[in-house]
Amino acid sequence: MNTLTMDNRPAPAQSSVPAIAIRNLDFWYGENHALRGISLDFPTRQVTGMIGPSGCGKSTLLRILNRMYDLYPGQRAMGEVLFDGRNILSPGIDVNVLRSRIGMVFQKPTPFPMSIYDNIAFGVRLHERLSRADMDQRVENVLRRVALWGEVKDRLNASAAALSGGQQQRLCIARTIATRPEIILLDEPTSALDPISTARIEELLDELKQEFSIAIVTHNLQQAARCADRVAFFYMGELVEVDTADKMFTAPHEKRTQDYITGRFG
Amino acid sequence: MTKDVMMPQESMHTVQSYEQELEQLRSLINKMGGMVERQVAQAITAVVEHDEVAALDAPEMDPHVDELERQTEALVIRLLALRAPMAGDLREVVAALKMSGDLERIGDCAASIARRAMRNELLSCPISLTGLHSMGRLVQENLRRTIDAMDQRDPELARIVWQSDTAVDELYVSLFRELVTYMMEDPRNIGPCTHLLFIAKNLERIGDHATNISERVYYSVTGNILPIIRPRGGTFD
Repeated sequence: MNTLTMDNRPAPAQSSVPAIAIRNLDFWYGENHALRGISLDFPTRQVTGMIGPSGCGKSTLLRILNRMYDLYPGQRAMGEVLFDGRNILSPGIDVNVLRSRIGMVFQKPTPFPMSIYDNIAFGVRLHERLSRADMDQRVENVLRRVALWGEVKDRLNASAAALSGGQQQRLCIARTIATRPEIILLDEPTSALDPISTARIEELLDELKQEFSIAIVTHNLQQAARCADRVAFFYMGELVEVDTADKMFTAPHEKRTQDYITGRFG
Repeated sequence: MTKDVMMPQESMHTVQSYEQELEQLRSLINKMGGMVERQVAQAITAVVEHDEVAALDAPEMDPHVDELERQTEALVIRLLALRAPMAGDLREVVAALKMSGDLERIGDCAASIARRAMRNELLSCPISLTGLHSMGRLVQENLRRTIDAMDQRDPELARIVWQSDTAVDELYVSLFRELVTYMMEDPRNIGPCTHLLFIAKNLERIGDHATNISERVYYSVTGNILPIIRPRGGTFD
C-alpha cells in the first residue's frame, strides 16, 4: 500500500541510536498516576513534537527528561530513560551535569536578572573555565546562532529584562545552547510570542536540529506540523500514537489522535 | 492489497460552525453527484431512444453543475483558510475539491453526448445501438455506485467500482473496432459512426472520472491511496 508523502524536507539524518530512549516509564505526583507505561524514542538530531490536551502528561514527560521533578517532594518516576547508555532516573546520576547536557527552555521567557552577556556566561561558568576572550567568543557565537547578535551586540551589558519577549526567548535558547547540550527541551516556547517572533524561533529550531536533538511540547498543532519530524500524541497519561508529522496530520492511525487534531474532543 | 480499516467519524467538532461547514460541503458534493447522475441518464436516453426532451435537458443542467462546482471551490478555500483542517477533515476537504472537478467534467461529457443525440445522421442511422446501449448502462451503473460510495463514505465500494471500470474499457475498445469496420464497409457510415465514436469516447471518459472519484473517496476515508496504475481493460494493439 502506498502512503502519501507530502513532506519535501530532506530526510533527517537517521541514527540507529536514539538520543533518548524511554522504556516503560510511569510517573506519579503523589497519588496521581500521571504517566502510564510510556515507551518512546527521541531520534538523534530530529525534532520530536509532543501534543495532547492539558494534563495529558506531555510537560510532565519533558520535566522527567532533565530530572526537574527531583525538586519537588512526592513525585516519583519508575522505568527507564536511557541517555548515553545510562538510566537518568537512577540515583547515581549527577543532576547538574545532566541538566547541562539536556537543556530546557520554558513557556515564558526566563532571563536572569542580569546583563545580556551574563545571562549566557552564567551557565557556562558553572561548567567550564574559559578565558575572557574565549567567553566573549562563546557569547557572540551563541547569540549569532539564535540570530540575536545583530540586535544586541552594542548593548551586551544592558539588562536582559529590556529585551522584547521574542528576543528574551531567543536569549534563553542561546543560554541553553551555550553549555553545549546534546538535547534541547522546549515547553511551549512560543505560546507567549507574536507570530513573527514565533516564526523566528521555528526557523531557529530548523537550524538547531543540525546539531541538537530537540523535544518540543506545543499546544499549537500547526507548529508541531511545521517544526517536528515526528509527533507523539498523549492523552490522559498515555502515549496514544507516535509517527512522522506528515502521517500524524494527514492520516493518523488512532481515532483518539484523529479526534484531537481535528478538534473533535469534547 | 490489504483491507483498510475505516476510520469512523461519528464524533462532532467542538466548534459547531466548523461541523456545519463540513456538512454544507458534503451536501454540495452530494447535490452535484445527483445532478450529474441525472444528466448522464438523460444523455444516454437521448441517444438510445432518440428522446428529444432528454437531449435538451442534459445540456441545460450544465450551468447548474458549474455553479455548484464554483460554490464547492469557494467553500473549500474558505475552510482551508479559516479552519486549517487536519487529518480526516483535510483529506475530506481536498477530496471534495478534486471530486467537484471530476463531477463537473462528467456533466460536460453528458452534455456533449446529448448534443449529438438528435443529429440527423444518427436518427436515420442503420447501425445498431446495442453496443452503445450496454456501454451506457454499465457506465451509468458504475457512476451510480461511485456516487453511493461518495455519499456513504464507503471505501470498499469505492475500490470495487474503481476496479470495475475495466469492463467499460473493454466495451469501448470493441465498440471502436465495430464502428471502424462499419466505416470501412461503407463510406456513408462515416458520418453517423464518427458521432457514435465521440459518444462512446465521452462515455469512456465518464467512466474514468468516476474512477477518479472512487480514488478520492478511498483516500478521504482510509488515508491510503489506491495504486497509481489502475487495472485497464481492452487494448487497441
